[in-house]
Order: sequence, then C-alpha cells, then structure tokens
Amino acid sequence: MDPTTAMYIAQGMHGIAYGMVLFLLASGLTLILGMMGILNLAHTGFFMLAAYFGYQMVQWTGSYWAALAAAPLVTAVFGILMERFLLKKVHVYGPMAELILTMGVSLVILDGVKVIWGSQSLPLSPPESLQGLVNIFGMQYPAYRLFIIFLSLLVLFIMGVLLYKTRMGMIIRAAVSDAQMVDALGINVPVVFMLVFGIGTWMAGVAGVAIAPILTVSPGLASQMGMDAFIVIIVGGFGSLGGAFLVSLICGLLSSYGIQFLPQYSAVLIFIFMAVVLAVKPEGLFGEKT
Amino acid sequence: MDKKTRWMFWIAGIIIFAIFPKLAGIYYSNIVVSMSVWALFAVSLNMLLGFTGLLSFGHAMYFGTGAYGAALALTHVNGLSFFSAMAAGCLCSVVLSLIVAPVVVRVSGTAFAMIHLAFAQCMFVLALKFRNITGGEDGIGGFSVSHIRIPGLFSLDVTDPAVFFYLSIGTVILNLLVLWFVIQTPFGQVMAGTRDNVKRIEYLGFRVSHTKAVVYVLAAGSAGVAGAVSAMHQNLVAVNDAYGMMVSVLPIMIVMVGGARSFFGPIYGAVFFGFLEEYVTAYTDKFELILGLILIIFIMYWPLGLAGIFLKLKFKWLTRKQFLKRSGGGAG
Repeated sequence: MDPTTAMYIAQGMHGIAYGMVLFLLASGLTLILGMMGILNLAHTGFFMLAAYFGYQMVQWTGSYWAALAAAPLVTAVFGILMERFLLKKVHVYGPMAELILTMGVSLVILDGVKVIWGSQSLPLSPPESLQGLVNIFGMQYPAYRLFIIFLSLLVLFIMGVLLYKTRMGMIIRAAVSDAQMVDALGINVPVVFMLVFGIGTWMAGVAGVAIAPILTVSPGLASQMGMDAFIVIIVGGFGSLGGAFLVSLICGLLSSYGIQFLPQYSAVLIFIFMAVVLAVKPEGLFGEKT
Repeated sequence: MDKKTRWMFWIAGIIIFAIFPKLAGIYYSNIVVSMSVWALFAVSLNMLLGFTGLLSFGHAMYFGTGAYGAALALTHVNGLSFFSAMAAGCLCSVVLSLIVAPVVVRVSGTAFAMIHLAFAQCMFVLALKFRNITGGEDGIGGFSVSHIRIPGLFSLDVTDPAVFFYLSIGTVILNLLVLWFVIQTPFGQVMAGTRDNVKRIEYLGFRVSHTKAVVYVLAAGSAGVAGAVSAMHQNLVAVNDAYGMMVSVLPIMIVMVGGARSFFGPIYGAVFFGFLEEYVTAYTDKFELILGLILIIFIMYWPLGLAGIFLKLKFKWLTRKQFLKRSGGGAG
C-alpha cells in the first residue's frame, strides 16, 4: 500500500472511531428523548463527569480497566438521582421547564468539575496492552483507537439485544410508543423510565472514559463533543437510533477529512451539513413529522 | 392604583432617571446601562419564550450580530452617529432572522431550541474564523461614535457617560414600549394562542407559521438593538461576549428567574442578575455554578419567577387591605 492511500484510510478510521464514540453519546441522548420526551442537556455534562471519575479512579487504583468498569456506573447513579429528585418534580410545569432545568444542571456540572479538579487538562493514559501500533495489511494504526471501535460495537450489541430480545426491552419499546397504556397494564412505568435514564447516562459514561485518553480530561470536553452530539440527534431526527448512527459516522468522517483537506474551516463543515439537511427536512433525516 | 398615583409614579420615575447619573456617579450609571441592555435582550427572548412558547438556545446570534453590525458600521463608515449605528445593528439582525426564519418556523419545541443552539454555535465559529472581518479572538474595538448634532441647535457628545446613559436608556425604553404595544394588539392574542393551542389557532383561520415568523423577526431586531447598544457601551465587540454560549443562556435564566408569563418579569430578572453579578463576582469566579443553582431552585420552587412572587405578595396585601376596609365599613 502506498503511503498516501494508507494515510487516507487511517484518517477514515480515525473518523469512524470518533463517530462511534459520538454515537455512544448520542444514542443515550436519543433513547432518553424518545422515551421520556426530555432532551437532557446535562447529558454531555455527565459524559465529561465520567471522564473525570475515570481519571480519579486511575489515580486511586492505577488500573484503566477498573475505571472503565466503575466510572460509568457512578455516573449512571448521578443521572438517576437527577431524574428522581429534580426532573420528576418539574415535570408538571411542562417540557420547556424540564429542558431549562437540565441546562441548569449542566451549568452546575461544568463549573463544579472546575471547583473539584481545577481547570487544567488532566492526562489519562490508555492501558499498557493497548499502547502502541497495530499492523493491519501493512498499515500502522494505533491500537487504542481500534479498541474504541470494538468497545462501541460491543456496547451497541448489548443494547440491541437488551432492547429487541428481552422482555424488559419489549416493555421499554412499548412505553416509548404509549406510556399510559403500559402503565394501565400494571407495569411500573416510573421505574422503567428511571432504568432508561440510568442506561442512557451509563452509555454517556462509557463514551467519556473511552474518549478521555485521546482528548485528555478537561472542562472543555463537554462543549467539544457535546455540540456534535446535539447536532447528530437534530440531523438524524429526534428519537431515531438509526438516524443517529448514520449521522454520527458522517460527522466523524466529515471532521477527520475536514481537518485534512480544509483545516481552516473544518469546524464549519458540520454546521453546513446540518443547515443543508434542515433546509430540506426540518424534522431531521429519519425524524417523524410533528 | 388610581390615575393620579400612576401619574405621580411616572413623573417620579422620569425625575429619578434625569438626575441619576449626577446622583449615583459614572460607575453605577454604567451598571444601570448594562442592566437595561440585558433587560431588553431578555424581554426580546421572552417574546418568543413566554408569549409564543418558543424556546431558543441561541438568541445570542441576534445579540452578537447586532453588536458586530454596529461595530463594523462604525469602523468602516466615518461620522456615524449613535442612532445610525444602532439602526445598522438592528438591520443586520433582522436580515439574519429573515434568512433563518423560513427554516425555524416550521419546527417548535425542543427542535426549535436545539436548532438555535447549533446556529448560534455556527455564528460563533464563523466570527472566530473570518479574522480579517471580525478580528477573530481580539474582536473589534476602539471605534468612535460621532456626536449627534442638529446644525445650529445642539451637539451631544456620546462619549460622555451621562449622555450615553440617557441615550441608551431612552432607546431601551422606547423599544420595550414597542414590544409592549405589540402584545396588547389582537396580534398579541394570536401569539398567545399559538403558545397555548396551535390547532385551534389554525382552525380559527390564523396562519401559525406567519405569526411565528413576525414575532421571530421582531425579537431578533430587538436583540440586535440590545447588542448594538452594548457594543457602543463597551466600545468593544469580542466573540465570547457576542456569540458565546453564556450570552444565550443568561437571558433564559433572566426570563425564568424574572417570570416568563409576565412582560415585566425579565426586567426584574435583569435587575436581580445585575446585582448578583456585581456582588458574586467580587467573592468567587464560579459565577456559572451559582447561576445554575439559582436557576434550578427557581424552576423547582417558584416556576413563575419573581413576577409571580410579587403578584402573590400584591394579592395578599390587597385582599388584606380590602378586608380591613370592608370590615371597617361594616362596623361604621
């Protein structure tokens, strides 16, 4: 393989790795949105919080794997607490109040991490077994990025099985389409909602710990990837998992090739893509017309 | 309040306004100017949020465009006065809103909010990247606003803080009056109708998306005026103070804390935040953390904001007074 093609392919794989993490983040968001009708603006805050928890866990135990296992769970607990004690109370005031509440929580998290961990970027190194390069068909590629792609696929596989092959997944899907009816059938819908919120936040947590070694842990992490995640669900259509998947990959590829070909305007490319899609279809690619 | 006390109230207000810069000094009159800018900006957002039921997470795009419009006009055109620069800023925002409106009036609710978040972020990136026009991170500064003069009659030096105080407060009040009258018209009722029940408004034969578009452009223009006044007040436009995320978030907080269902709510909110910023930033730089906590507390416990609290107090006070009057009359 000649070096130019290898570079293009490597850049493409960078894009896919970023897109997969983006999808992990966006799918939690879109799951909560589709189910509860709440766009959780604090989602990216939780994503960043998980990266900080991961850093702290590595400081304490010295093991990346422990961080990857525990940090998302702790984040999920925080998400559930927020749903139980804040969102539920505001529900009666309507969706706008809920949206603004999540914004308030996101502000508190964004500034709160600065109080606890300071505003400098903290390093989080990948485990030793994943450092270095892997040889794929004569092309050198960082092992950790490959690991991220596989981790994302694994989480998605688990989610797919959970949603489409289990009884709980069936209840969740039923509650998405008609929560009142499911409630009337004697299923405790608030508990189901709480579970979904926890799972969504857990996925954001996995994304946060996974991306931390690449982007370093800093208070800018949330706005850096958060904006992209929100664009993904706007363009993909609210509550659509397939749309989120497709647009995440497009976003990842756009940003990685954009940096290569148009370094000056790479940040604008995604917005142009969004503007074009919305001008044609305001409800997003796979969104339902409201 | 009868007619006489209302007149007294207005006259007292005008007198206080007239002597305020002399009385309180430059420092406090500057604070009042920035409060009034925030008040206008928040009221313009509330035209969308409170009266039409559209939440925008990117209202900064109009504030910033107004600010940049005024600043660019002042740097490139010689001898522009306060009012022409303000008109330039307002016009820029209106033009931008006319471009965006066809897309955004087709959606509402969460989609409307998020599309604005993305558009405002897009403007932020554009302002940062087109360095040769906007000055990038440094922004535009040091432009001079020329005197307002009518030949042979008078000449006003805008760089004098007291004069600027009168001009900016006058402009803001004028703009607020325009918005107030719009809400009083039948069109204002249609606005409230689109907030409360879109279907019924459609059945009554009103065009929902046209209504939204008119309110949208109106709100954008007012935000542009606020941005232009703020640019001339600071004599500087920087990307973060024009298109930054906090510029979009702060008016939402001001509206929520002040009270979204009331026209004057955001004005109370702006005053509250003016004092808060003044005193909190003296002690801590974690202003956003405090803002977030206050926002959460208000949404959870006082969803009608300060305006709701005032209304409750007023009712309590009034009913007690009336009760006393009536029982007193009964005894006599």
